[in-house]
Amino acid sequence: MWKIICNLLLYVFFSMIQFIFGKYLGIFGIFPNFILIVIAYLGVSKKTIDAQLMGFLFGLTWDAFSIDIFGIKALMFTIIGYLIGKFCGDFYANKILSQFVVVFSANVIYWLGFDLIHFIILGSESYMASFTDVSFYMEAVVTVLIAPTVFHILGMLYNRRAVK
Amino acid sequence: MKELIYECIYIVVPGFYKMCLHRKSKYENIIFLILLLFGLFFIIGRFTPTVKLIEDFVYRFSYSSLNLTNSVFCFTENFVNDIKSVIHIRYENITYKQKNQELTDKLRNYEAMVKECDDLSKLLKLTKIENTISVFARLSIKGPNEWYKWFIINKGENDGLYNELPVLMFNKKRNALCAVGRIIETYASSSKVVLITNPAYALPVKIKDRNINCLAEGFGSNLLRITYIPHYADVKAGDEIVVSELSSVFQKDTPVGVITDVLEGESSVDFKTAKAKVFFEADNVYEAIICVPETKICGK
Repeated sequence: MWKIICNLLLYVFFSMIQFIFGKYLGIFGIFPNFILIVIAYLGVSKKTIDAQLMGFLFGLTWDAFSIDIFGIKALMFTIIGYLIGKFCGDFYANKILSQFVVVFSANVIYWLGFDLIHFIILGSESYMASFTDVSFYMEAVVTVLIAPTVFHILGMLYNRRAVK
Repeated sequence: MKELIYECIYIVVPGFYKMCLHRKSKYENIIFLILLLFGLFFIIGRFTPTVKLIEDFVYRFSYSSLNLTNSVFCFTENFVNDIKSVIHIRYENITYKQKNQELTDKLRNYEAMVKECDDLSKLLKLTKIENTISVFARLSIKGPNEWYKWFIINKGENDGLYNELPVLMFNKKRNALCAVGRIIETYASSSKVVLITNPAYALPVKIKDRNINCLAEGFGSNLLRITYIPHYADVKAGDEIVVSELSSVFQKDTPVGVITDVLEGESSVDFKTAKAKVFFEADNVYEAIICVPETKICGK
């Protein structure tokens, strides 16, 4: 029960950060993808099911707020949660370089998948459109750089709960 | 770079191995498959009513909570902006107070200097230069068939105006004030102005820079009839006419118009006549400037 409440709080908190703070704190429209970091953290912490479910929930919310294809983000975040949970164990979670690699890979998977689905559904016009945009790289860099801090905070939160 | 590659290998290879062999992860795979199917269903059937309904439901569910938070943040933002404005106004107020103090000091010095100047003028018996104050007025009434005869302005005795004051207007092309007419009737908040183009009006003028005195008479149009030009005077089209020293209304050298045509030997042998176009355009006169001597305003 505690786990569900904790995950729901996490969902509300990061939704707020991503969908509301992003509007105010984004510099030149660039704001780190906190949701991707949270999913990456859950995946890395061997919480694969949580990562998938949270990813799906976050993605669904994001889809509902965006004008993009409905379900695309839900699908991508679920896949990312699953893949990170499968590929990475908590053995590597404390290493900053590992965190960089994991979040960067998540970014690449996210945008590749995103563009691929766009290509399949909308045609060749939007193919690799994200990769020609400078803001994509900037956002990826910012997300990767901020990841260790978020990992650390989430780690503190989960470890304290584990100790209790 | 090497470390990064090794790190990648360390993550990817065991992960892939685990994914293939980990038997405990069957629920993860089942959940993943279900979510994957849901995701694909949403994408494929995004135009169907069911998916639209789900989208609406998710939107409304998330929107209410996020909107509330958004409102709180908007309120906080406005509150912070208000505080910023208050602080800014406070600083601005302080600055203005300082500026006001400085200007008050300067004014005090100025008044002392004026008094000193007056005393010195009296001692040296110098003629005092009279300053004028410009009163800006808008045209309130203009006769449709008498555009070049008179108009009424929205300033009167309450603004320190009185009869015989010169009325000028700003000519943008020449970047100078030019003669328009004079006040003939004054009321509390309006005045009647007779134009220099009125046939009943005559203005002493001279040819600019040549000191050839003549008279400008109104013609009921935008043209003036320049009379009493000495026969010997070399006057030609394009010469500018200005108010002469003989005028009791306008200041000397106030621009009036420009000569367009010279009619030699028309009226008499000794004088010739010319036509001049006025600088002010009666069609476009909407604002007038009245020069009031400062002493009159102060004495009001």
